[in-house]
Amino acid sequence: MPAAPFPASLPEVTEQTRDQLADGSYEFLSIFLEGLPFIFLGTLVSGFLGTYLPRGAFEKFLPKNRTLSIMVSGLLGAVFPVCECAVVPVIRRLVKNGLPASCAVAYMLAAPIFNPVTAISTYKAFNNSHEIAISRIAMGYIIAVIIALIVSRIAHDLFLKASARKDKDHEHHHPRNLNSALNNSLRDFMDVGLYFCIGVVLTAILKTTVIDPTDDFWKGLAQNSILGGAGMMILAFVLSLCSTSDAFIAANFTNFKYGPKLAFMVFGPMMDAKLIFLYSTVFKWKFILFLFVAIFIFTGALSILFETQILPIWMNQNTELPLTP
Amino acid sequence: MTSLHTRLFGLLASSWGVALIYFYYSTRIKKYLAPDFHHLIMIGGVGMLILGVYSIINPQEKKASCGHDHSHDHDHHACDHDHDHDHGSHSDCGECDHDHADGHGPFATILLTIVPLAIAMNFTEDKLSNAGLSKKGLYEAPSLTNEADIPPFTREDLEKNVPRNEHGEFELRMITAYYAAGDREIQDIFDGLPIELEGRVAPEKINNEAGDRMRIFRSIITCCGADLQVVGVSMEFPEGVTRPADEDWIKAGGTLTFETINGNILPLLKIREVTAAEEPYSEFRLRQ
Repeated sequence: MPAAPFPASLPEVTEQTRDQLADGSYEFLSIFLEGLPFIFLGTLVSGFLGTYLPRGAFEKFLPKNRTLSIMVSGLLGAVFPVCECAVVPVIRRLVKNGLPASCAVAYMLAAPIFNPVTAISTYKAFNNSHEIAISRIAMGYIIAVIIALIVSRIAHDLFLKASARKDKDHEHHHPRNLNSALNNSLRDFMDVGLYFCIGVVLTAILKTTVIDPTDDFWKGLAQNSILGGAGMMILAFVLSLCSTSDAFIAANFTNFKYGPKLAFMVFGPMMDAKLIFLYSTVFKWKFILFLFVAIFIFTGALSILFETQILPIWMNQNTELPLTP
Repeated sequence: MTSLHTRLFGLLASSWGVALIYFYYSTRIKKYLAPDFHHLIMIGGVGMLILGVYSIINPQEKKASCGHDHSHDHDHHACDHDHDHDHGSHSDCGECDHDHADGHGPFATILLTIVPLAIAMNFTEDKLSNAGLSKKGLYEAPSLTNEADIPPFTREDLEKNVPRNEHGEFELRMITAYYAAGDREIQDIFDGLPIELEGRVAPEKINNEAGDRMRIFRSIITCCGADLQVVGVSMEFPEGVTRPADEDWIKAGGTLTFETINGNILPLLKIREVTAAEEPYSEFRLRQ
């Protein structure tokens, strides 16, 4: 059993504060316990990739054309499905090993959405609606590719942290053995684990003190496609849900239209309160801010396009999409 | 990394691993994660412990042949320029086992990770407070949509698929009773139906001026407590029926009806009898 939360010697602590601390602790532990094994798995993979993957291996595998290589990278989540927590240490190591940063960004942003687990959970959450599942995957993929194409025009120095850049200037020999792989894994695990922990603390604080999805403010946004979409993206940022489960939450925001729900499911896996700290292990803070704004604008625009242009077509075709509200 | 740093990081990885293993073996994990994730926590914890212990026993250190760090990360000063150093010729570089990415030191990492974990483990009650449950939907009404996860349903389906207790009451899942309020066709089937619900008890805050109501609820999670959602049904107690205490785990038998409050249709269980029930291993797994 857990320890008693407060000794009787703290009478000044109000019941609300006590509840918030207990709830914040619960939220923290929920995300920490769920996410840490995936971070660990990601850093194990990154450590072994860093040790055994020959430099430049991806240059042989990916198409020579920059745009094509970005588009292919955005599809890799279907083959190497990873969640948004595990993907960060992996791409961090891949970039150091020579994967073009733009391709890494495409994979990083698309993989949490463009993977079979997320597709199935979205399909199930929305009453077996393949339309919603496909729309989510397509929107995530398009946004990831667009942002990666922008990134491909930016010099690495401007957005990659020095510690994440390719070690091209000194090709001395790293031993390829288990010892080195585990050492790399430990280092990655500590770096990423630290920022993950900070992100989870922030998420827990926001969820217990600032955001209440059931209050009238959020309900009031529901009927406006633009404000609703913006509100749902902010909510997704704060809630920091796993991409494999967020569809079940989105589906239950029954007051909101489908555009804002899609915005919630696309924005959240790409950008949330814990992810910004994970991203900071790879990218500079200015670039993370750029990512936030770009994802916010593209997701908002595409969700409005979906709501106003695509959804009416489906309604006219009388699909089995649950079309209310 | 110096060998001391490696050992300290190994100690931290071991601590995280022990925390995960503790949550698994103490079964506290069932309060935080869906059952599908429990073994993953155990495997992850063991893996972290192995990595940590291995690093403590076998720390790696920069070899003398490579006496410099090749890349230093200075951009946490939020300045625009690049601080990468040019170390000139690397002809004197032999094999080096170290990683070139310099992150935060072990003391900062330990402080910033162990402290929140310790605080959370101390102050958590392994559940959400009533205020926390409210944010997850404890007192929310299902909207009138056809999104509820209820397939086409007839009275014959009900008779065929839902078992009854010894009093002839249908042992309905909470989620079914809750979402029935969002589907007018199913309401017609369920209205006036003798049912039994199983769940945890919370105080009632809606339409309870007479003080004769409580709420029975279940929590549903897909992955972890972060995506937890609560579905609840109001219970109305006639005089003479023993009431449970808040937080009790109960089976509540009675008649399911629906009422409209502030334009929302809500399920209401008019209680015949409440009996104590054994709490399931994971309250997130719905029986039936």
